Amino acid sequence: MSAQPHQTPAESNVFTQLLEELGDHHGFYVGPYKLLDLPIILWDNGRLHLYPSPTAMEQAGLYRMVEGHPVRVADGKPPALDLSITNLVVYQWLGMLLVGIALWRAVRRYRAHPLRPPRGLQNAIEALVVFIRDEVVFANVGHQRLGVRLLPYFLTLFFFILVLNLLGLVPGGHTATGSLAVTGALATIAFFVINGGAIATIGLKNWLRHLLGGGPLWLSPILVPIEIIGMFAKAFALCVRLFANMTAGHIALLSLVGLIFFFGTVLIAPVSVAFSVFVYLLETLVAFLQAYIFTILTAVFLGLASEETH
Amino acid sequence: MELGLAWLAAGIGVGISVLGAGTGIGRLGAAALEAASRQPETAAETRTLMLIAAALIEGIALIACIVCILLAVKTA
Repeated sequence: MSAQPHQTPAESNVFTQLLEELGDHHGFYVGPYKLLDLPIILWDNGRLHLYPSPTAMEQAGLYRMVEGHPVRVADGKPPALDLSITNLVVYQWLGMLLVGIALWRAVRRYRAHPLRPPRGLQNAIEALVVFIRDEVVFANVGHQRLGVRLLPYFLTLFFFILVLNLLGLVPGGHTATGSLAVTGALATIAFFVINGGAIATIGLKNWLRHLLGGGPLWLSPILVPIEIIGMFAKAFALCVRLFANMTAGHIALLSLVGLIFFFGTVLIAPVSVAFSVFVYLLETLVAFLQAYIFTILTAVFLGLASEETH
Repeated sequence: MELGLAWLAAGIGVGISVLGAGTGIGRLGAAALEAASRQPETAAETRTLMLIAAALIEGIALIACIVCILLAVKTA
């Protein structure tokens, strides 16, 4: 939720501008304030280009910034691969740091006083960990040993998504999970966990038998393509669900605040603020709910894929 | 003209997909509530199943909304 000034093309409408604001930037922003220039890393024409900031990149003369993205000066096309450290990457690092510190503190106290009851933040973390372990992972991943081995993955997934969602709700923060690149990466990992876990548990032969969908052999020309599409559709839906849920709330908030400027009067402000507070609280619920949904759906899909018999 | 048609399509499309998702989640909620009040001891399990099914319905609706967004942000 930021509102830094951006040079946008004349033909773009307000909605595309909103999406642009919620997207990635080559600078570390808190609200409209740019705190840091972030390095630009480009892979183009078979070699790596490293620049400490967008200004240094423009001075070097090979690339320039157009609408917030680097393009070649020569032909105006984007480089082959943009691996820059961007705003959302920094927010993900921040999320990792927060999760790491919070869990490390809890673990240290358990190590120091194993027999004392948990307190404070440790209490909240224990409640969440036990909930994820018993209600989400063990309840849905039928295979006990697979569940125990993949428990660290599910806990990391839940806390990482939760903290990124909540970082986006801190005033001035950006939602890294509101970017298709981030949720796509999470869904790709989930895809490999689901299918890798299934193959490791029931063997390649049984996994291939799942592709028949339990139908007779003569139905396989219809069922096998459907099952293969279904395999990818599950991961794709995970990706889109998280992205759309996190983005939709922000767009609703920005639209409600935008009503004041749209009507050009202060009188509409109380209505806008009241609805914004409601949407903000709803978003807090959605932040927890989507972290939970992503984790439980991965667990359910893993459980379905690693069933012995169909 | 064409841009106007794209925005019209986006509006109609998002309306229809929300109608479908709303009907689906409404029926799901009614059925889950009924199940939970008939057998309160299984309410926790019912809630989990309801959330999963709601998320699946929502996923379809969101993909429909993404298609509508692509129509709405169409330029030229």
